[in-house]
Amino acid sequence: MEFGGDFELEGVPPADAWVMMSDPIAVRNALKGCRYITRMDDPGFGFEDYEPEEGLETLPEADPAVVADRAFEAGVTYAALMQVGVGSVKPRFETQITIEERDEEAHRMVASGTGNASSSNFEMESWMTIGETEAGSRIEWGAEADVTGRIAQLGSRVIDPVANKIVNGFFTEIEQQMTDVEASDEGGVTQRLRNML
Amino acid sequence: MSSDTREKPDAKYRHDEDGGPDPEEHGGHGRGGMGEEVKRKEDRRFITGRGNYVDDVKKDGMLHCEVVRSPHAHAEVKNIKTERAEAMDGVVAVLTAEDLEAYDLATMPTLMDDTQEVLVKDKVKFQSQEVAAVIAEDRYLAKDGAEKVQVNYDSREPVVDAETAKREDAPVVREDIDQESNHIFTWETGDEAATREAFEAADVTVEEDMYYQRLHPAPIETCGCVADWDQDNEKMTVHMTSQAPHAHRTLFSMVSGIPEHKVRIVSPDVGGGFGNKVPIYPGYVIAAAASYVLEQPVKWVEERSENIQTTSFARDYDMTGRIAATEDGEITAVDVDVLANHGAYNAAAQPSKFPAGFFKIFTGSYDIDAAHGELEAYYTNTAPGGIAYRCSFRVTEAVYLIERMVKVLAQELDMDPAEVRRKNFIPEDAFPYESATGWTYDSGDYHRALDKALESTNYHDLREEQQRRIEKDDDKLLGIGLSTFTEIVGAGPGKQCDIAGVEMFDSAEIRLHPTGKATVRIGVQTQGQGHETTFAQIVAEELGLDVDDVQVEHGDTDTEPYGLGTYASRSTPVGGAATAVAARKVREKAKSIAANELEVAEEDVVWDRESGQFHVQGVPEQSLSIADIAGASYMNSPPDQEPGLEAVDYYDPPNMTFPFGAYVCVVEVDRETGEVDIRKFYALDDCGNRINPMVVEGQIHGGLAQGIGTAMMEHVSYDDNGNVTAGDFMNYLLPTAMEIPEMETDYTVTPSPHHPIGAKGVGESPTVGSPPAIVNAVVDAMEHAGVSHVDMPMTPDRVWGKLEEAGLAKDPAEDLELDIDGEEAAGD
Repeated sequence: MEFGGDFELEGVPPADAWVMMSDPIAVRNALKGCRYITRMDDPGFGFEDYEPEEGLETLPEADPAVVADRAFEAGVTYAALMQVGVGSVKPRFETQITIEERDEEAHRMVASGTGNASSSNFEMESWMTIGETEAGSRIEWGAEADVTGRIAQLGSRVIDPVANKIVNGFFTEIEQQMTDVEASDEGGVTQRLRNML
Repeated sequence: MSSDTREKPDAKYRHDEDGGPDPEEHGGHGRGGMGEEVKRKEDRRFITGRGNYVDDVKKDGMLHCEVVRSPHAHAEVKNIKTERAEAMDGVVAVLTAEDLEAYDLATMPTLMDDTQEVLVKDKVKFQSQEVAAVIAEDRYLAKDGAEKVQVNYDSREPVVDAETAKREDAPVVREDIDQESNHIFTWETGDEAATREAFEAADVTVEEDMYYQRLHPAPIETCGCVADWDQDNEKMTVHMTSQAPHAHRTLFSMVSGIPEHKVRIVSPDVGGGFGNKVPIYPGYVIAAAASYVLEQPVKWVEERSENIQTTSFARDYDMTGRIAATEDGEITAVDVDVLANHGAYNAAAQPSKFPAGFFKIFTGSYDIDAAHGELEAYYTNTAPGGIAYRCSFRVTEAVYLIERMVKVLAQELDMDPAEVRRKNFIPEDAFPYESATGWTYDSGDYHRALDKALESTNYHDLREEQQRRIEKDDDKLLGIGLSTFTEIVGAGPGKQCDIAGVEMFDSAEIRLHPTGKATVRIGVQTQGQGHETTFAQIVAEELGLDVDDVQVEHGDTDTEPYGLGTYASRSTPVGGAATAVAARKVREKAKSIAANELEVAEEDVVWDRESGQFHVQGVPEQSLSIADIAGASYMNSPPDQEPGLEAVDYYDPPNMTFPFGAYVCVVEVDRETGEVDIRKFYALDDCGNRINPMVVEGQIHGGLAQGIGTAMMEHVSYDDNGNVTAGDFMNYLLPTAMEIPEMETDYTVTPSPHHPIGAKGVGESPTVGSPPAIVNAVVDAMEHAGVSHVDMPMTPDRVWGKLEEAGLAKDPAEDLELDIDGEEAAGD
């Protein structure tokens, strides 16, 4: 299955969008059904009993140093717990995502991942590029997924609307967060952060 | 298969010395004999909701089983973690292959000598295959538990169709049996050299590719069982959805090692079988093993999607047919190549000695000198099966092939397809007829059936209407499809058919009680066919009883005589024969008791079928009924006879029976949308003597609905990853009353000469005979523009594609005169 599209972020420069898209906590907050995203190599991590720390601040409130410290890194594998509802099927995916590539200059990120739930599985390759537009920036993204199990049986006419809803919800939420940041960014938090990344 | 018979001692009862039944002439005896439209005895409980199905069986302390299934079609099982599930309240046990290995139950034999995992240990071979099982206190807990079982897989590339499976570089499905390719077997029939010669010498040859898609029998009641191990008596009782309880008892005993007299299979009311409930499935074995280990009853009942995705499918034959003929339409040879997808195991539920079952009846109703067929079967990463579905072991595929090919030939020769059929029919006086592929057809009168069908449907008027519509460039094209099929049912002679070595006879036991009522126990079993009524009618007919005085029992191996089950339209041909013969044995003894009562010699006692009375020859007033005689058998038994009046018969039929039919389907094809509207379906069936015309008609109605589903809607499809994309009723479309047109049934009667009551069986004729009639009709509507085939299911999308290709599609907007300027509208 192939998914893809683009999203315009008005009034957000690409560099700021890059910062936001690099923060696992911001991404988690924008992604409906995502309980956590965390490094797999954290000592003691296990899908069964991991409890994410709640109430973590994101920009603009967060300490830029903390955000920089937790940003996605190339070559690192992250764990995410995602619950997706497709019709009557609501699998809880234990997902592993590896950041394959991070190009700071081109604002391009490539990730691969697998997700396992009790009756469905997926394997995915995905990419994202942030480019500049007159009004701000445009995020172009794409994903190729091999889906098996119950979810796949429902077919693309059921999956596509759900996927679109999650993705659109995600970018709308990201845009909102970005707008908050831009509005309050008098001290140039993102600028400082950009230099830290 | 020749009619060389092994003359068993009961062969003498095939022809009744008192004159066999003739329901067409006499229409029964007025007390529910043969030919009478007796209302079904079983319908009271069904209509009032008091049927008793497996899921209605509840036992004290009963646990529930939920199967953990693979989301992958092809994957190594790396490990299975059961701890989280086991820790849940209410979960009693979690079983894996390792647990079953301790009881030697991790694998089970299929009906084609393959071995299938009950629970997978190493490699999953099709999506939704059984990997683990959770046993819990209720069904919800079992389901929750199954969610918590963690299975780690290493997925592999799957192969989902036979064409791909054939390739040298295709992933191998079955390394477990040291297969280096996916090839299972090659099968060949007929005379290749003679066929080649006929093709070389032919004026005309035609060829067509056709795919008989994968279907599922989809009985409304899914498969399930309640297994109950009684530790005190060391006895296993299994209530299960079984079409063959005795065969299942033998298999259960062989697989489990529990002695056969300590295994009881009960098949209660069954909500449709259609062949789906002939094989043994892993769920049954898991439930039985769990009950044995836990010493508690365990229930396992499938969900709809589990039924469609994992249990026996049907068809999946990719066929190429060829016909050689003279220029005036006489067929000289037929040739066929088949690529068969058998799924992950060779598990076709068919008992014949032939790998492709009865497919070699592909010469159909036609007198064809040369025939040849070759078939290659392959493993794929799809559910196993290939036989089930209201079909006598691949006769459906054979009938589809030949009935389509005759139409293709007619098109090539620009002849009326009815005329081509007439020209090639096996003539009535040629029966018993030896076919080029080795069958002996028992009887038939194909011309009479076709003539009646054409006349009843005003065939010539329909042809004229079709032409008119073409000339008028009508939006809707008319198509007329014919199918003049011959079925082969009643497996079967024990020499040619067996299950696990047990010959395919069938049985009946009739016991008359002192008050003259009868209990009949039969080896076959009903899943809706109406045995409780029709078998009572056979006994009523053969003994002169009132049908209300006959009780039929079936489906319990502790009490019924051994039988091979109900499928392939074999109940009436085999079990019905056993019942008639057992009744005649009873009647023979009854005569000797009557002689004693009437104080005459036994030779002087005659039996009158009409009145049911035994009387002294020439003195009808000196008579006794069977009830009188039953009383005497217990109260005044003759000195040379044992008391009591009963008989049993195990009947090994001398040959199959060959029912036939002439179907006419009239369709309208919408050139704007590709929709096909079946305007009329006329079905003339000849199933020999009819026991109950109303039950026959009901069978035909149901079978036609399934045939329409096949032709128009149903397909178990897979995507490239091996996901079943039509694994539930949202995507696997069954026809409802909305999709079923008015059906007209008709009949002729050509009795089977070797069957004790001249009956042939009818359960499958409509599913077998109707798909080609419908496809022929749709093709017929478009053939003037060169369309020669449409694959099933003929969805609007597919038909529209053909219309467009042939230049017949119409744009709905074309004829609309749009008033863009709105001049006229302005006047409003």
